[in-house]
Amino acid sequence: MKSTKVARRAAVSALGAAALALPLLSLMPATAQAADPIRIGVIYDFTGPFAAGGSTAAAVGNEIAVELINEQGGVEGHKIETIVADAQSKAEVAINEATRLLDQENVDLIMGVFSSAHCVPMAQKVDAQQKFMWANVCVSSAVFKDKNLKYVFRGQVHSDQFGWASCTFLQEYAEKKLGMKPSDLKVAIIYEDGPYGSGVASGNEETCKGYGMDVTLKEGYSATAPDLSSLITKLRRARADVILHTGYNPDITLFLRQAKEQGLKWKALIGHGAGYGQIDKLTEAFGEDANYIYNTDPVAAQLLDPSTLAPGLGDLTAEMVKRYKEKTGANEVPPHTSMGFNQAWIFFSDVLPRAIKEYGGYDPESLRKAALDTDIPVGGTVQGYGVKFNPPGHKMAGQNERSSPVVMQYVDGATKIVWPTAIQTMDPVLPLPDGHTYAR
Amino acid sequence: MDFPLTDPFFWETVIQGLLFGGVLALLSLGLNIIFGVIDVVWICYAELIMLGMYTIYFLYSDYGVPLPLAMLAGILVVALLGAALHYFIIRPILHTEPINQLLVTGGVLFFLQGFATLAFSVEFRNLGVSFGSIEAGDMYIPTTRLLAFIVSLVAVVGLWLFLKRTYLGTAIRAISQDRDVMPLMGVSPGKIYLVTSALGGGLAGLGACLLVLLYDIHPAIGLTFGPITFMVCVMGGLGNMIGGFIAAFIFAEFIALGGFYAEIEWGYVIAFAFFIVMMFIRPQGILGSKS
Repeated sequence: MKSTKVARRAAVSALGAAALALPLLSLMPATAQAADPIRIGVIYDFTGPFAAGGSTAAAVGNEIAVELINEQGGVEGHKIETIVADAQSKAEVAINEATRLLDQENVDLIMGVFSSAHCVPMAQKVDAQQKFMWANVCVSSAVFKDKNLKYVFRGQVHSDQFGWASCTFLQEYAEKKLGMKPSDLKVAIIYEDGPYGSGVASGNEETCKGYGMDVTLKEGYSATAPDLSSLITKLRRARADVILHTGYNPDITLFLRQAKEQGLKWKALIGHGAGYGQIDKLTEAFGEDANYIYNTDPVAAQLLDPSTLAPGLGDLTAEMVKRYKEKTGANEVPPHTSMGFNQAWIFFSDVLPRAIKEYGGYDPESLRKAALDTDIPVGGTVQGYGVKFNPPGHKMAGQNERSSPVVMQYVDGATKIVWPTAIQTMDPVLPLPDGHTYAR
Repeated sequence: MDFPLTDPFFWETVIQGLLFGGVLALLSLGLNIIFGVIDVVWICYAELIMLGMYTIYFLYSDYGVPLPLAMLAGILVVALLGAALHYFIIRPILHTEPINQLLVTGGVLFFLQGFATLAFSVEFRNLGVSFGSIEAGDMYIPTTRLLAFIVSLVAVVGLWLFLKRTYLGTAIRAISQDRDVMPLMGVSPGKIYLVTSALGGGLAGLGACLLVLLYDIHPAIGLTFGPITFMVCVMGGLGNMIGGFIAAFIFAEFIALGGFYAEIEWGYVIAFAFFIVMMFIRPQGILGSKS
């Protein structure tokens, strides 16, 4: 609630600031008017099921980035002013809000967006209007795949990469930890049937099959389904060694609860973001049963070794963590906060200054050109990956080609990086230790 | 796949369907009694359940009230809310067009969702209580769902006995049959409606006691159960408690077996397709009367 309050307060403050600023603007000399605030329509879900599933955490990260950049004097003298909108966890509301922000509030660009189900239609709509959109959290590859979008950019990892990462992790550790050849490994893929879950599941299936693994079950379900018992019965029958799950909340907790009640066992459960990114919530609900769950996600910035990143990024992450804890009172900072913060920070610190300095402003065309010039090497962002956007004509035009997720594992309430091996902070616990509720 | 009759997974699915049917049956009871007696559909019914779940959660988790007492308090709170809903919202518009009543209770739905979001935040909350499962051969029967099933059976029998064997129950049935004549015989419809609303609310509270053991609590939980509960009631014959009870099990078995033999989403597709076909064949519902 606190973070929602914060977000709402930010929206009210931004509106209030805009209202107060109007009469003052007329009194300012012409030179001051040149540094008008850059108005950004920020869309997240502050109500509905997505809010607590990571959207609010991402919005707070986004808000911290705005605060920090404004405290530094803004971008090229322009303060950042946000008009925050609540998509209410509903795609139609998200689209309507984007339309309102662009057409009535006349914002300079759209930023944010948690759900892929919102992102896919919104990206096409914004692009068709030749307005600029900077997507922060949604991951579905379908946002860009074969769409040839020109004005929509995303630094965030995309769903095909999620699917690839967990299967590659399994392929690397199957023999070493499970004593099984990848071709002997039985894998079940379950997912919420929106663009997010379907996208990750497709990536899972393609990569796991590519490694010769036996995909014994692949099945989608609605994130609002009140009962998953028949799916769990089928999973028991399939006797999969590993379950790859992509879901939101509350379907993830429903799955874990019903899996326990129905005696479903596994050697590893790998989640892919959203509810699986909320370790504190999982621990609160399941206690020790949440131990050793894997989560494939863009890394939470605070887990990275600052010495592997560009100078200053470690301090930036520490500031983000400090402010997030102050604002929300939370002990854990979920990966979503890093996503909201990192993407916004990349835009404010790299793309926007270039658009203003080299292309003369922050209109969609200037922003587009500046985004296409982005060339941040690996280690150049707080989440570790670099940024270079696929050019027009590419089948994923607008998507960052240098993004990459990591595989994390939860141990006694702490999050550890277990893959890629080069940056791991712990050797993976695989299979589940004997005595664990879900251990086979 | 084994032959169904010897396949333990098939039987587990059938049992899971029955148990989920118990949950739906319990949820449909309160909605049906309200419609059967007062002729009003509480679109916000699932949101009353949500408030009951929050009541139980906070009493148990934050104030350390023992779970049975917290549940009893949950039932009472929702019963009071039901009575208040009738007295302050429904009563003034009781004799207006049904669409007005639908719109008003729909408005209450959004109000309650918004209220819960502001008051309790969007966080998912969890009681963290699990009663485990009963293992029978290769089958697992979740104790909580079995409990829901038994409570549902007891509730429907108890309600039936109350309506048949008590003076108040007889008055409720009488007024549901003819709301114009009963006042002439000394029965006050206003009081009966209030009692019925409290009873419907109490049943929603009873539903909350079971859902709080099965699901996370959040302001939008009503969206998961509201539509399906309404469809169960309509398929059974809106206002017909036995019809709703039967429809709940039919619906749940379609979902379970459809999900078992095809994909889980197909279970819902088949259940909803059956619902549509039934609406053509028996628009009054399985046990509803044509009048």
